[in-house]
Amino acid sequence: MAEVVSPVPGAGRREPGEVGRTRGPPVADPGAALSPQGEIIEGCRLPVLRRNQDNEDEWPLAEILSVKDISGRKLFYVHYIDFNKRLDEWVTHERLDLKKIQFPKKEAKTPTKNGLPGSRPGSPEREVPASAQASGKTLPIPVQITLRFNLPKEREAIPGGEPDQPLSSSSCLQPNHRSTKRKVEVVSPATPVPSETAPASVFPQNGSARRAVAAQPGRKRKSNCLGTDEDSQDSSDGIPSAPRMTGSLVSDRSHDDIVTRMKNIECIELGRHRLKPWYFSPYPQELTTLPVLYLCEFCLKYGRSLKCLQRHLTKCDLRHPPGNEIYRKGTISFFEIDGRKNKSYSQNLCLLAKCFLDHKTLYYDTDPFLFYVMTEYDCKGFHIVGYFSKEKESTEDYNVACILTLPPYQRRGYGKLLIEFSYELSKVEGKTGTPEKPLSDLGLLSYRSYWSQTILEILMGLKSESGERPQITINEISEITSIKKEDVISTLQYLNLINYYKGQYILTLSEDIVDGHERAMLKRLLRIDSKCLHFTPKDWSKRGKW
Amino acid sequence: MSKLSFRARALDAAKPLPIYRGKDMPDLNDCVSINRAVPQMPTGMEKEEESEHHLQRAISAQQVFREKKESMVIPVPEAESNVNYYNRLYKGEFKQPKQFIHIQPFNLDNEQPDYDMDSEDETLLNRLNRKMEIKPLQFEIMIDRLEKASSNQLVTLQEAKLLLNEDDYLIKAVYDYWVRKRKNCRGPSLIPQIKQEKRDGSTNNDPYVAFRRRTEKMQTRKNRKNDEASYEKMLKLRREFSRAITILEMIKRREKTKRELLHLTLEVVEKRYHLGDYGGEILNEVKINRSEKELYATPATLHNGNHHKVQECKTKHPHHLSLKEEASDVVRQKKKYPKKPKAEALITSQQPTPETLPVINKSDIKQYDFHSSDEDEFPQVPSPVSEPEEENDPDGPCAFRRRAGCQYYAPRLDQANHSFENSELADLDKLRYRHCLTTLTVPRRCIGFARRRIGRGGRVIMDRISTEHDPVLKQIDPEMLNGFSSSSQTIDFSSNFTRTNASNKHCENRLSLSEILSNIRSCRLQCFQPRLLNLQDSDSEECTSRKSGQTVNNKRVSAASVALLNTSKNGISVTGGITEEQFQTHQQQLVQMQRQQLAQLQQKQQSQHSSQQTHPKAQGSSTSDCMSKTLDSASAHFAASAVVSAPVPSRSEVAKEQNTGHNNINGVVQPSGTSKTLYSTNMALSSSPGISAVQLVRTVGHTTTNHLIPALCTSSPQTLPMNNSCLTNAVHLNNVSVVSPVNVHINTRTSAPSPTALKLATVAASMDRVPKVTPSSAISSIARENHEPERLGLNGIAETTVAMEVT
Repeated sequence: MAEVVSPVPGAGRREPGEVGRTRGPPVADPGAALSPQGEIIEGCRLPVLRRNQDNEDEWPLAEILSVKDISGRKLFYVHYIDFNKRLDEWVTHERLDLKKIQFPKKEAKTPTKNGLPGSRPGSPEREVPASAQASGKTLPIPVQITLRFNLPKEREAIPGGEPDQPLSSSSCLQPNHRSTKRKVEVVSPATPVPSETAPASVFPQNGSARRAVAAQPGRKRKSNCLGTDEDSQDSSDGIPSAPRMTGSLVSDRSHDDIVTRMKNIECIELGRHRLKPWYFSPYPQELTTLPVLYLCEFCLKYGRSLKCLQRHLTKCDLRHPPGNEIYRKGTISFFEIDGRKNKSYSQNLCLLAKCFLDHKTLYYDTDPFLFYVMTEYDCKGFHIVGYFSKEKESTEDYNVACILTLPPYQRRGYGKLLIEFSYELSKVEGKTGTPEKPLSDLGLLSYRSYWSQTILEILMGLKSESGERPQITINEISEITSIKKEDVISTLQYLNLINYYKGQYILTLSEDIVDGHERAMLKRLLRIDSKCLHFTPKDWSKRGKW
Repeated sequence: MSKLSFRARALDAAKPLPIYRGKDMPDLNDCVSINRAVPQMPTGMEKEEESEHHLQRAISAQQVFREKKESMVIPVPEAESNVNYYNRLYKGEFKQPKQFIHIQPFNLDNEQPDYDMDSEDETLLNRLNRKMEIKPLQFEIMIDRLEKASSNQLVTLQEAKLLLNEDDYLIKAVYDYWVRKRKNCRGPSLIPQIKQEKRDGSTNNDPYVAFRRRTEKMQTRKNRKNDEASYEKMLKLRREFSRAITILEMIKRREKTKRELLHLTLEVVEKRYHLGDYGGEILNEVKINRSEKELYATPATLHNGNHHKVQECKTKHPHHLSLKEEASDVVRQKKKYPKKPKAEALITSQQPTPETLPVINKSDIKQYDFHSSDEDEFPQVPSPVSEPEEENDPDGPCAFRRRAGCQYYAPRLDQANHSFENSELADLDKLRYRHCLTTLTVPRRCIGFARRRIGRGGRVIMDRISTEHDPVLKQIDPEMLNGFSSSSQTIDFSSNFTRTNASNKHCENRLSLSEILSNIRSCRLQCFQPRLLNLQDSDSEECTSRKSGQTVNNKRVSAASVALLNTSKNGISVTGGITEEQFQTHQQQLVQMQRQQLAQLQQKQQSQHSSQQTHPKAQGSSTSDCMSKTLDSASAHFAASAVVSAPVPSRSEVAKEQNTGHNNINGVVQPSGTSKTLYSTNMALSSSPGISAVQLVRTVGHTTTNHLIPALCTSSPQTLPMNNSCLTNAVHLNNVSVVSPVNVHINTRTSAPSPTALKLATVAASMDRVPKVTPSSAISSIARENHEPERLGLNGIAETTVAMEVT
């Protein structure tokens, strides 16, 4: 698991200051610690009832990420193990199978996942005592926390809280999680942070434990998302280096924390649609408590209430994205929006998109991006269906930064249409391109599907000339489709088309591949018509700024 | 698969791949297990997510079925599309235009308020609407303004009233409501906004902070050279803009002051009108009491127009009397005689007395004729061409400008004679009309009746008056007055002029030359003539050295002056006396030399040696040689001053001349006096803060070699009002210069770009802490220093720009 730490000799230290914070009555937080169901705390794993697509009940294993108490009723934010974060949800205790509850255990660590943080929280490995964690204090998830009996004798033995001797996490682990007096050990994170976690940096003072905790940049985690004041303190302590300024996605979770791991918007109303966000999005914090966030369908401005939206609509006369239409066929149009020239729309779009894109980062401004918004026209205007963003200048051949079909329009071919459009732009530019990584699961499926269909289309379209076997190079495929060579190869591999035969590589199109492709293409009705594209690429490198 | 034990070749993207289809396909069993030769491409997903249950299920379903199965898709949170009030919310229809939609760049910023009313506001609005009409939009605009004007602190009601252009009652109601609502508001603003980053980096981690500015510019290509050049350009641009700002601010201040003055004057006039003070008597009375203030206020008010100083500097020719003076005399009178002379005592002691008042009053009358900033068109570097123009149009740059704070009387030419006759009277009113017979040192001659007065910044201006005796007076040779010139009256103030106090009373009617002379001799007629400024008291600190008494400590004086000369970087230490002829020669040489500046560089060393010669003639020329190098710049001015101040060692000669009272040329340019002047100038440069840097620049630019001295001198009275000696020096120099406008054209030619002058002045200023260099060492150092005035001066610009107040 990502959060499990391989102990770094010398890096581990005991933080006496932590004692005061975590010690105390075992029932520090009534919301979590001593519920009738027992001590359900952050980090616990237990089967949670959920209904799958087939409307069947299932009890996947889930982890408690957060606990909140709303008018005496406890709610638990659960992450289903091995499910995507987007399915995380608040559940009542009725849905918890307490009989099978696993408390966070050191031993449960699976070393194979060390250092590979992902969307799944996977924090049960944290060695956090139930009572200690229940206090709601922040403990960073990627930090290994071990327990000790917090005996006076032991404290005498280590006066002043000087750095502890190297601490193997397992050796210090106390099996008794219920012990009332504990000491929490903060062990170095999986990715050692040079400055603060190095043995040289000493925390001679009591109360420095928090600093040690916060010293892991961006790793501060909150066991209780409601403690917002805690957050600000933490952030000032460990200032991580700012993320890279290119691209739109973060792959490492270094800037992830408990806040961003949890959805914060309950519902978004956008035009006719009510969307349930999948991920965190940094809408103004005061709006996160609203049951519904109202967005203007056309300018995407957010409002507190329906009344606000109503009032806004009297002032907002947009009926299409505020950009230049560069493509129109039928009801489908594409609008190009410059992230520098139309900041407010770009930002609103990003905020909305972040609700559905886990890895999207909104850390930096939108200046270096262009946004291509796909709309569907009806008598009310041009309704946003999806969009993709694109760096004006990409150093890594990215032709798409973020890409999203809004949930109401998903699984109807719009995603592929967006992808196709992005490659059409690349064709006009005369470049090959690839989407920015990491891909999401849906992104991978969509792109693979698009690549497969596009490549198969070409391969099947090749006619044998003068009786000879048709042949094509990978470069040719890449040039024709603007799909980057690597993606072509990976698709050929994925489709198992490429084989080595008689000393050379060949492409084999089996019957079921051909059949499958033909069936799929029958369903693929929405296509981009390059004749309808009116697009002149700009050479952004020649401008002073994007 | 043993036969496939060979290693497959790497996949070549450029190599054609034959496509096998259907029945052509070889047995795939023959092809398998070479996959390692084709590197497995990464999916591009994060490892951990890749293993997610639903994805894996979907992928395997696709592998199996070659198409998606409904049940195998990745589940996502549900979305509903059943907002039933949609049509009511989004009213109206939008017709798709035929053409592609193209937005105009600036169409987006409509002036609509960002604040959107909520139902709570609506309740308030309904309540308010019972009493008055308020539209939702109006309310939103109000809230919007209040919100945007408040940051951490809410705006006050007072501010709100300024902010909102509404009925007071409405403002109060909305304001109170807003304050209440704002207090209950969870967010930082009623208009929900994305959290902004903070500069201190404390928000680097805040997940709610988004769209941070990219602090470092994304570097896509490097062009360092270009960057550097543009950086320099930007710096330059910035400097120039800030300079422009400074100038504009100064103009603003000036114009403000003018307006204020106008108002004040109007008030005064009104008051006077109400009092019936048509003759100015009451005003005068009042002014007498406040005279002290007045005098000091005078220079201050002169800030008004920078160009004033320029003009006046131009007319300052301390060492030369104009030969063409008579030609332009009549016109000049107009411009040069705006004020009545003051009594010498006043000038020298700087003690304001009632006598000064009429002067001010007189000029006050027409004070409303303000000059505006667009009169500031005097060229920075005067060209020779401009000179004749000035001669033809004497009112041009030297035109009389009313001075703020002055009362101007109508010309009273009819009373000219009368004033003479009544000059005996102690009557204050009359005293100001007192003109005295005046003699100048350079050129040595009598200019007839004139009176001195202190001009702006303490320059002494000679107001001449034409009398019927003029023809006779012209014949007066200053030599004739020798015997009685250096009377004791001027001793106590370090005046360059010796004032021969004759009786004020002189013949009303034409007098013969001899009569006049005898009158003078018998002290019945006052006669002024420049007097050698005697030794300065240079032993103490510079600023305290007050006046030149008698030519006592010759050696010390010379030492001091030489030292000063050194410090002022003119690089010339001239010893020995100088005569008028020498000086004139020198002037011409200066002019000449400026044309051949660089060519004469070589001569410098030599000339420096020769400059130490005591032979006056040689010295004069050699001095000129010396200056050849720096002639193009303001060093020429200093050079001139050096020449002027040269005759220190030949004290005896000077003294002699002084005694005779005729060869008073050296009186004007007397060594100690001049050095003192420079000295005080330096002081002024270094000490006086203010805006007048520009003025100085301009002054120097306009003035000639010789003008520098008065120009610099003018600064001294103001900045060092206590330094009487300096003051008087300046005063007298100016005095002379006014009367000798002829030199203007000559001098103009020799004048040089002002900045250099500034530099030099600064250097001088910075160096003036070593005044007691012995002559020899000073001289020896000259050669060296002479090479580097420019370099040294470079550092001084900043200080110089704040230095001088030429008023």
